[in-house]
Amino acid sequence: MKLTRKITSILSDQRVVLSIITLALFLFFGLKNKAFFSADFVLFPLLRDAATITVVGLAQLCALSIGHLNLAVGRMAAVSAMATGYSYQYLGFSLPLGVLVGLITGALLGALTGWIVVKSQVNAFIVTLAMDFALLGFVTFIYVTFTPAAAFTTKPAGMDFWRNTSLAQYCIAGVCGPKIFPMMIFPMIVALLLVGFMYGKTRLGRELLLTGSNLRAAKLSGIPVDRRVITAHIFSGTLAGLAGVMLGFTNGSFSAAIGSEFMLPSFLGPVLGGTLLTGGSVAVFGTMMGTLLTLVIRQGLSVQGIGLETLNIALGLVLLLALSLGQIQKMFTSIRSRGRT
Amino acid sequence: MTTELLIEQVSKAFPGVQALNNVNLTLTGGTVHALLGENGAGKSTLIKIITGVYRADSGALKANGQEHFFESPIEATRAGIAVVHQERNLIPDFSVEENITLHNPPLKYGIVDRSERTRLAKQALSTIGFDIDPKERVKNLSVAQMQLVEIAKALVTKAQIILLDEPTASITNTETVKLFEIIKLLSSQGTAILFVSHKLEEVYQICDTVTVLRDGESVLESKPLADYKQDEIVDLMVGRHLADRKIRIRDIDRTGQPAMELKDVRTALGHETISMSLYPGEVLGMYGLVGAGRSELARSILGLYAITQGEILLSGKEVKIKNMGDALHRHRIGYVTENRKEEGLFLDFSVGQNISSTILARILDKLGVINRDKEAEIATKFVDRLGIKIVDNHQLAETLSGGNQQKVSVAKWLAAETNILIIDEPTVGVDVRTKAAFHELIMELADEGLSIILISSDLPEVIAISDRIMVMNDYAVVGELENTKDYPSISRSIMALIHSA
Repeated sequence: MKLTRKITSILSDQRVVLSIITLALFLFFGLKNKAFFSADFVLFPLLRDAATITVVGLAQLCALSIGHLNLAVGRMAAVSAMATGYSYQYLGFSLPLGVLVGLITGALLGALTGWIVVKSQVNAFIVTLAMDFALLGFVTFIYVTFTPAAAFTTKPAGMDFWRNTSLAQYCIAGVCGPKIFPMMIFPMIVALLLVGFMYGKTRLGRELLLTGSNLRAAKLSGIPVDRRVITAHIFSGTLAGLAGVMLGFTNGSFSAAIGSEFMLPSFLGPVLGGTLLTGGSVAVFGTMMGTLLTLVIRQGLSVQGIGLETLNIALGLVLLLALSLGQIQKMFTSIRSRGRT
Repeated sequence: MTTELLIEQVSKAFPGVQALNNVNLTLTGGTVHALLGENGAGKSTLIKIITGVYRADSGALKANGQEHFFESPIEATRAGIAVVHQERNLIPDFSVEENITLHNPPLKYGIVDRSERTRLAKQALSTIGFDIDPKERVKNLSVAQMQLVEIAKALVTKAQIILLDEPTASITNTETVKLFEIIKLLSSQGTAILFVSHKLEEVYQICDTVTVLRDGESVLESKPLADYKQDEIVDLMVGRHLADRKIRIRDIDRTGQPAMELKDVRTALGHETISMSLYPGEVLGMYGLVGAGRSELARSILGLYAITQGEILLSGKEVKIKNMGDALHRHRIGYVTENRKEEGLFLDFSVGQNISSTILARILDKLGVINRDKEAEIATKFVDRLGIKIVDNHQLAETLSGGNQQKVSVAKWLAAETNILIIDEPTVGVDVRTKAAFHELIMELADEGLSIILISSDLPEVIAISDRIMVMNDYAVVGELENTKDYPSISRSIMALIHSA
C-alpha cells in the first residue's frame, strides 16, 4: 500500500513521466538506427534546437501563467533578431551589446502588447494575433528596405563560437565535456533558472500566478493586476527576443524567416510539461522536457527515414498520447487530494 | 405509489475521511423533507450520491421502482430526480427557455423545435407562477429568478423528486416567501422534495419531515419535524448543547476621531450623498435589502468604482483611495468579499498560499524571495485561530467545505492586520456552529481594536453583532440606530426605516 502510494505519487509528477518517455524513445530510436546517436549530425543540432525552442516555450509560459496566450512569440522573436542583426551590420555593435538590443526590443514589444491588452480590455488572443500580423509586415518591410539579400549577415566576433562549439572543447584534468552539448544550452539554462526562480520563489512570480488563477480575487487582494499583466507580457517578449537572437546565431544570419516556426512548438513544451492553459500553474523544467520530447520524436522518426506526412501524423499521435498520460496522472492526483465536499 | 426515494445504509469514504456512514433516508411524495447538518456533515456528498455524481461504497438506493445507484446525473434525471444546486448550474449566456429545456430539447426533424421549446418553458414557468420572458438571457436575472428557472427546469424533466440545496442562501425574504409557495404547491401535487438549508426558521416553516446528518451519520432519520423543538435539532446537529449566546452590549467610545468618515459621498454607481462614521473598535452593521447598494458602496470606498463627490476621511485625514492595493498597503483597509469562490479564494492554490496572498510584501527575504517558513507560520497561526479544518497548509482551497473556505477568505484579511475591515455577508451558506463562531470572532476582533463594517442581509446576524446599524435603501442611507440587541424592537425599527423610505 505504502509502496503503491509512493509510486503513484512519483508517477503523478509529469516531469518524471516525461523524462521516462523521452529516454525510452531516445533509446528506441537509437537502437533501431545507430545514426540517431551521431553527435555531429543528430544530437548536437537537436540539442541546439531544443535550447532555442525551450526558450520560446518559456516565452509562451510567461503569457500562460496569467491565463493569456501570446500568438506573436514568433514575430516578436523576428523583430528582436532583426534589431540585433541591424545593430551588428549598421552600428558595428559588439556581440553582447547586440544581444542586449534584441532583448530590449523584445521587452518593449511585450510591454506594448501588455499595455494594449490592459487598456483595451480586448482578449490577449486577439491582441497578439493582430500584433503578429502587424510585426510580420514590419519585419518584411525593414529587411527589404535595408538589405539586398533580405538578411543581415554581418557576424560579430565570437558568433561562430556560440554556433558551433560543443562542450567537448572544454576539458578539466583531461576529462572533456560531451560532444553533444552545444554552447547554446547556456542561454537556455540561464533562462530556465531565472524563470524557475521567479515563479518558484519570488513575490513577483507568486503574484503573476495568483493573477492567472483568479484575476478578480487577485485584484481584491490588493495585487496590482494590470501591472502584472504587463509584466508577464514583458517577460514573454524578452524571452521571445532571446529565442530569436539564439536562432539568428544558429543560422549565422538574421532574416525574416526567424520565428516563423515558433508558435506551435511554443505551446507544446509548456503544455506537455504541465503548464495550465488557463493560468495559475506553470512547469518551467517541464517545458524543457516537453520540448525535448517533441524534438526527439521528430528527429527520431526522420532518422528512420519516415516521410514528412507520416512523420507529422506520428508526431500528432505521440503528442496526444503524452498529453492523455498527463490527464491520467491528474486523475491520480485529484483522487489522492480530494477531501470531503 | 407513495414512497419515492429510499436510501438504505449508504456509506462513502474518501481517502482519509468517512464522508457517509450507514445513512438512511426515506423521502415520500407529497412531503417536504429537511436534510440538516453542519458544513462537512455529508449533505452534499449524499446529494451527489443520489444524483449519480458519486458512487456509494455500499448500501442501496430505491427510486420509483428502480433499485440501483445511478451511474450518472443523466440517469438520475431520467429516473425523475432533479436537483437545484447551491452553485447554480445555468448557462448565463443562454435564454431562460434554452436553459429550461437544456437536458431534453424538443426536436423536430432532428432540429430544435423553437416554438415547442417556448411552449414547454412557458408551461413550466406558469406552473410555478413565475412571470418572465422565456427569451430573456439568464445572466440578466437576479439570483432568486435564476433559482426559479432552475425549478422550472426540474419541472420540465417531469421530476417527481426535487432536491433543493440551500435554495434561500442568497435571496431576499420576499423572494423566499414566493419560493415557499411554489414548494408547497409542488408538494401538494405529490412531488417529493428534499430541502437542504442552514436556516432553521425556514425549515420549520416549510418542512414536514427531517433527517439530521452529523459527521457522516444519520443521527435522526426521517422523523416528523413537529416532534422536535429547534433546540433539539440544533443539539442533534452539533452533538452537544450550544450554550445560549449571551447578548453582549459593547461600550464604544465615540468621542474621539472616527477611524473612517464619509461626508456627502456620491459615487459613479449612483449613491446619493452618503455620510457615515465608523469609530475605532466599532462594529457598524450595514443592513438593507438585496440591491440596496451596500457592497457597491464598500467597493467604491475601496477605489474599485469612482467617488464623484464628497470626501473620505481616515482618522481625520482626507484620502483618495485609488485601488485595492492602495487601500490595503497605504490605508490599511481590508475587504472580505461576499463571493468567496469567485473573488475571495484562489481555489487551485493551497490554504497557506491563500492566506498569504495579502501579506506577500511582509514575508520577503532578499531579492523578493518569499520566506516559506514565515508564510507557513502565519498560515498556521490563522488556521488555528479560526479553527479551519484541514490536513495541512498545503491542502488546496477547492477541497474545503463551504464554511472552511469562508474561514480562509477571512483569514487572509486577518493576516493582513488592517485597521479597518469591511466584511460582506460573512455567513452565507455557513452552518449554525460556524456561524456562531464567526459572530464571536467578529466581536473579538473589534474588542482588539479593529473597526469593522459588517454588510449582511441576515437581520438576526446584524442585530446580534453590530454596535450601531446603518440602514440603506436604494443607494441611500435611510437611517441609523444604536443597537440595543433587542431583536423584536430593533427589527421593527429597521423595517419601518426601509418601508418609510
